[in-house]
Amino acid sequence: MPNEKGQSLWGDAWLRLKKNRMALFCLGLVLFFSALAIYGEVVYRYHDLMDATPAYQQTNLDLAHQPPGMEHWMGTDGLGRDVMARLVQGVRIAFMVGIITSLIAIPIGVFLGCLAGYYGGRVDDFIVWLYNTFASMPGLLFILAIAMVVGKGLVGIYLGIGLTTWVGICRLVRGEVIKHKDQSYVQAARALGLSSGRIIFKHILPNIMHVIIITFTLRFPAAVGTEVVMSFLGIGVQGEPSWGLMINSARMRLWQGMWWEMTFVTLAVFLLVLAFNLLGDALRDALDPRLND
Amino acid sequence: MIHRIPMGWPVVLLAGLFLLGCSEESQRSEFDADEIVSYSRSYRIKALDPALSGDVSSSKAISRIYEGLVEYDYLARPYKVVPLLTESMPEVSADGLVYTFKIRKGIHFHDDSCFSGGTGRELVAEDFIYSFKRIADVKNISSGFWIFDGRVLGINAFHEASKSTEPTDYGMEIEGLKALDRHTLQIRLTEPYPQLLNVLTMHYAFAVAHEAVEHYGPHFVSNPVGTGPYELVHWRRNSRIEFVRSPKWAETGRSETYPSNGTPEQIEAGLLKDAGEQIPFVDRVVQFVVDDGSTAWMMFLSGQFSFSEISPDNWDAVMTVDEGLNEGLEKRGISIVSAPTLELRYIGFNWEDAVLGTSTDPEVDRRHRKLRQALSCAYNFDQMNQFMNGRLYPANGPVPEPLGGSLKERAPYRFDLEKAMRLLAEAGYPEGIDPKTGRRLKLTMEVGGADPTTRQMMELLTAMFDRINVVLNVQYNTSPAFHEKLNRKRAQMFYLGWVADYPDAENFFQLFYSKNVTPGPNHANYRNTEIDRIYEQIQTMLDSPERTALYEKMAHIVVEDAPWIFCYQSQSFALKHSWIKNYTYHAFPYGMEKYQRANIDERTQWFKTHKDKKLSMSGEE
Repeated sequence: MPNEKGQSLWGDAWLRLKKNRMALFCLGLVLFFSALAIYGEVVYRYHDLMDATPAYQQTNLDLAHQPPGMEHWMGTDGLGRDVMARLVQGVRIAFMVGIITSLIAIPIGVFLGCLAGYYGGRVDDFIVWLYNTFASMPGLLFILAIAMVVGKGLVGIYLGIGLTTWVGICRLVRGEVIKHKDQSYVQAARALGLSSGRIIFKHILPNIMHVIIITFTLRFPAAVGTEVVMSFLGIGVQGEPSWGLMINSARMRLWQGMWWEMTFVTLAVFLLVLAFNLLGDALRDALDPRLND
Repeated sequence: MIHRIPMGWPVVLLAGLFLLGCSEESQRSEFDADEIVSYSRSYRIKALDPALSGDVSSSKAISRIYEGLVEYDYLARPYKVVPLLTESMPEVSADGLVYTFKIRKGIHFHDDSCFSGGTGRELVAEDFIYSFKRIADVKNISSGFWIFDGRVLGINAFHEASKSTEPTDYGMEIEGLKALDRHTLQIRLTEPYPQLLNVLTMHYAFAVAHEAVEHYGPHFVSNPVGTGPYELVHWRRNSRIEFVRSPKWAETGRSETYPSNGTPEQIEAGLLKDAGEQIPFVDRVVQFVVDDGSTAWMMFLSGQFSFSEISPDNWDAVMTVDEGLNEGLEKRGISIVSAPTLELRYIGFNWEDAVLGTSTDPEVDRRHRKLRQALSCAYNFDQMNQFMNGRLYPANGPVPEPLGGSLKERAPYRFDLEKAMRLLAEAGYPEGIDPKTGRRLKLTMEVGGADPTTRQMMELLTAMFDRINVVLNVQYNTSPAFHEKLNRKRAQMFYLGWVADYPDAENFFQLFYSKNVTPGPNHANYRNTEIDRIYEQIQTMLDSPERTALYEKMAHIVVEDAPWIFCYQSQSFALKHSWIKNYTYHAFPYGMEKYQRANIDERTQWFKTHKDKKLSMSGEE
């Protein structure tokens, strides 16, 4: 976080966030999931480097459909693989999807939003037309179409989700920039003869950073959810454990009383999404200067 | 023929025709009648025209209404062709080129308004010539022309002539199709065609009446007029279809009987109790399209369907460990009939692939063969079978049992890890390490589907190859994308199956013939001059011990070359209710409902006992 400039906004926000115990709990949960994701990535990289098959991929039909117990805390799936190990690997995929899609969507949204808001006129007309066009297409269908063109797998998911979800943030940023561009500090910058690019990205952008951070915390779980849906539909992750795939294969056996895989995976999705959403709300309360006092 | 019938028709029909039991029973609407209710889960009947349809559901429906010259015997195994509309098996000339069929006298088409006076006329030899011309007519876009293509004298000339923009001239003579008299049909061939009688059992070769085709025009697909045991009464597309016993058979005194020969096992299974009885036994056949598997399953449990398949998801709940049905189902008198089908599942290696395929350098070629053999040895059938709940049947070669040419002994490249490692080392990948990269060998497999079962099977397969240190990267494609890759020869390995068109190993060996490479059915693009030579030789050979020996020789060559991993032969598991009699598995079930019987008393009794019981999905009360 760019809080080196002083406590004015960020230090203040942290103080306010600290008072919200639920937000702190969610922050802890997010950090915990992040640690799991890093652990999963390390495990994956290690096995890839050593050219070995990781334990979470090893099947043993004699151990298929074991309920949770000492040996396997979350039971085993239909091929005798440990559900917990795969769940943790699933966190890795979920985080990668959340972060990379945000890295695609947020720069696009912020850049276009700034341009539209600051310049107005024809630039604004064009960008508004562009994002309205994107917004008018049904999201999932659009994602599916992109994934089909790029091919199945993670790249398809990244591009599919990334290229369709910049609209919301673009709209928000545009509105904020319009609000800011007539404020005195911008006029002062202009009077000093600074270039437009410098005004937008050096002066206005830091002042609307909180909007972007909040959007990120809200977009992240949405992207994870979309990945789960896409993998569930069979066009998502291939070959690696993903929550969507796990839910899809667990669903067939659910009515036979094999509840563990489904339960733990949905619980993980639920917790991750909830933690990010609550944290996002708390951050908005903490960061929005107008909600001071 | 189709009558325009209001929706309430089934109930009216019941009240009118089946006044059995008390009123309480008749409220159960259509399910109390003397009928077989079968269903097809997602497969819809497309058209009821023998020349047009190519799908299984349509074939089954067509075979209830129409008939051909010959059919498969219901009970004989291996499958045997027997006369149906002919008096006896055809006379075949010594050179195998001329077949003469004596068509039975007194066979009549069903009554229909397309005939003068509305009464069905007698079937004659000309009807077959007309029907065969219809599948050769390009304008009909028939999927069945292959059965005669290049085989019957002059039929290709007719095929070409029909390409003109003028309406096809059905008066045009075909040299190889002659009606010697009213009831004698002669077929003359360009070369011996051992599968002729097999293809004549298929619905493409069934007799249609030219009056009906001309009368109904484009609506002929939904107005079938045949000679068979049933007539169509009602067809709501993609929903419900209903057939009733044709009164024509009784009117014209046509006698058809249940077969009276069977094996001791069949006698024990009660399959010959009706030997020599007049068929068909069942008055009505009703079939539903139910897309949702759970709904279909519950309808079966409640007695609305007489038959059901078992979906893999249901398997554990329905079956006990030793392949029996669970208690709840057994109490309801449900029984299971299982038999290996003529479907072979395999993993193909692309013969043109740089790692797995053939090569002009004999040394490289030899090493690639070792690699394919090593991969075959890594495939663990028992594990796959365990995953599929013991529903599979092992395959030892390219021909499924019980066809001639199937190999009885355990194939040399069935599961054996030590052998796999040894072959892998001989192929130049010691311990599975690719010397070029210093890492494990990586292979790519293409699959045409991504449903959970396929996915888990592929994950299991990946684990099998992992044991010999080969990394399998599975690509899940949509079905069109998968076939696109196959057709461009882009697939390194692929997972496919083949279902026999007729019970002859030749149908499987065509998949290894070099002239059938992609886009033909030889998707592995396998080429072997020895196989080509023998395949061309057996093309014209009639069934004989020599031919079976050649089949076995080919099978051995294919096993040694290992262009496929022979995964398994599928088994069919049919569940049926106790009131259905005479049911046995048949690989070509077209028209076989006429041999089945439904016992009404048993059925009524069953409903009295079981109708109010609440059930779980597994059939337990």
